[in-house]
Amino acid sequence: MTTLLGTPRRVAAIARNTFIEASRNRAFVGLGIAAMGLVASSMALSGLAIADQMARVLVDFGLFSIAVLEVVIAVTMGVILVFKEVDKKTFYVILTKPIRRSEVLAGKFFGLVAVLAIALVLMSMAWIGSLSLRGVPLPHDIAQALVLTWLQAVLITSVALFFSSFASPILSGVFTLGVYLAGTTLYVLDDLLVARKGLLVTNDAARAVAKTALVILPDLSVFNLGKELILGIPIGWDYVAASGAYCLGWCLLFWGLAAVIFERRDFA
Amino acid sequence: MEDMIAVEGLRKVFHTPFRRRRVEAVKGVTFNVRQGEIFGFLGPNGAGKTTTLKMLVGLIRPTAGRARILGGEPGAIDIMARVGFLPEQPYFYDYLKPAELLDVFGQIFGLPRAERRRRIDSLLDLVGLGDAKNRVLRKFSKGMLQRVGIAQALLNDPELILLDEPMSGLDPVGRKEVIDLIASLKDRGKTVFFSSHILADIERLCDRVVILHKGEVKHAGTLQELLAQGDRKEIMVNGTLEDGWSGRPGIHAVDRVGGAVTRLLVEAGASDGVLRDLLDARLEILQVADRRISLEELFVADAGTGPVGAKEVAG
Repeated sequence: MTTLLGTPRRVAAIARNTFIEASRNRAFVGLGIAAMGLVASSMALSGLAIADQMARVLVDFGLFSIAVLEVVIAVTMGVILVFKEVDKKTFYVILTKPIRRSEVLAGKFFGLVAVLAIALVLMSMAWIGSLSLRGVPLPHDIAQALVLTWLQAVLITSVALFFSSFASPILSGVFTLGVYLAGTTLYVLDDLLVARKGLLVTNDAARAVAKTALVILPDLSVFNLGKELILGIPIGWDYVAASGAYCLGWCLLFWGLAAVIFERRDFA
Repeated sequence: MEDMIAVEGLRKVFHTPFRRRRVEAVKGVTFNVRQGEIFGFLGPNGAGKTTTLKMLVGLIRPTAGRARILGGEPGAIDIMARVGFLPEQPYFYDYLKPAELLDVFGQIFGLPRAERRRRIDSLLDLVGLGDAKNRVLRKFSKGMLQRVGIAQALLNDPELILLDEPMSGLDPVGRKEVIDLIASLKDRGKTVFFSSHILADIERLCDRVVILHKGEVKHAGTLQELLAQGDRKEIMVNGTLEDGWSGRPGIHAVDRVGGAVTRLLVEAGASDGVLRDLLDARLEILQVADRRISLEELFVADAGTGPVGAKEVAG
């Protein structure tokens, strides 16, 4: 059976190996401990908040910490996904097996996506535990918010994978973080374009640049619904599904571009 | 019968960043490998052996020319399923144990779980790693990694096995085992293509050989054919020869071998003329003997590094 991403058996073999690599990597374990620490630190922060704001701080900071740490894992591990294999020459034995290069990329992507899912579950457990310890009721749509956080990290993984298919880890990291920062603030640009006045209204060149940015960059604000969670605004599963489709579209685009570049590379 | 490997006018040019400099690593190489033979790919370091091998397995795209393995394109899924490849100084996922590593490859080959387990156990025993199954590869020596590399190259029971410097990093016992293994693969009807700069291994194993130097094929053929190219006569003369003799056509070397005896190394075809000249010069001829050039001498002559004493030639 062959799918758009390749033969599932071969993709799964690479994904499983990528997951094992991460789970046996001391740096990842360290990152996990740091993540737990950060989530737990929201408890300490809540002590500084005004009494009726404690719940808000715990929810807001906790979700923010999980989102940031998911992105940190996606970027730090995503940018070395390809580079490490090239640098250590482990690709010589993988790419000479009956497997397409695009399947190797898909496998590595799914392996990291699984790592992000496990990290999300562990951090969420720590966060929910800290909320319970403080007697803060769980926000109504907490599961939806967490899934959206994971989807954002998945999208960032595909960005990191794309850059790592041709650039060094440092450059890939810088580019990926750039996309992340731009993506999380893209909605501001959107607002400015429909404003009554301002540079993006009066200057045609600036307006063109802004419009291009809106087209070529993913809008990550789609995944950040911390405010809605705190205010108790419902987040429906239909919204999560639509966001998932949005994430999938971008992932396919970045994976496709990475595959095209990767296919043409020489491994001298 | 179709050749297992057919290479025609293969070229590879590497460009440095910003394309300021170009290096032509392989310059129009042509050769073929037949079914069931052990084919030696010989040359000093930097001759273009590894680059050619990488083009044969699809890791590098040729700049020009054509390479076909098992009748198909290098790197194609259906072709690579029938090929085993050992890269030079292989690197593996060092967080895995050898059986885990082979299991990943076995999954890629689509081998069922029970079959994977059976082949992995048998291959690890075959390469002498049966006792090291439960150690992570990070703790393996270079020679042990080479053995893992050989095991993974045989996992799919390939028809064609490409080995880049398979004896590298192995101790004498390990080398002997790998030589025996390669010979047994031939007995089972497999085709083996291996690169090496260890001449003794090539001489011992190969049916046919290509000698590559600076990206070009210098010699190709069976060992007998190659060595026959260099058939020579060794003429021992009582007396000292004037300097002019060493420059004459057909005479490869003139040297003193102790006392007043001089040795001339002469091309077989030119020996009659040289003998006549020696007799005309009233020199006493002590002995005339056939002398077949060794692969080592042929190799060194191509590499232009002069005679060497050791069997292993560093290039």
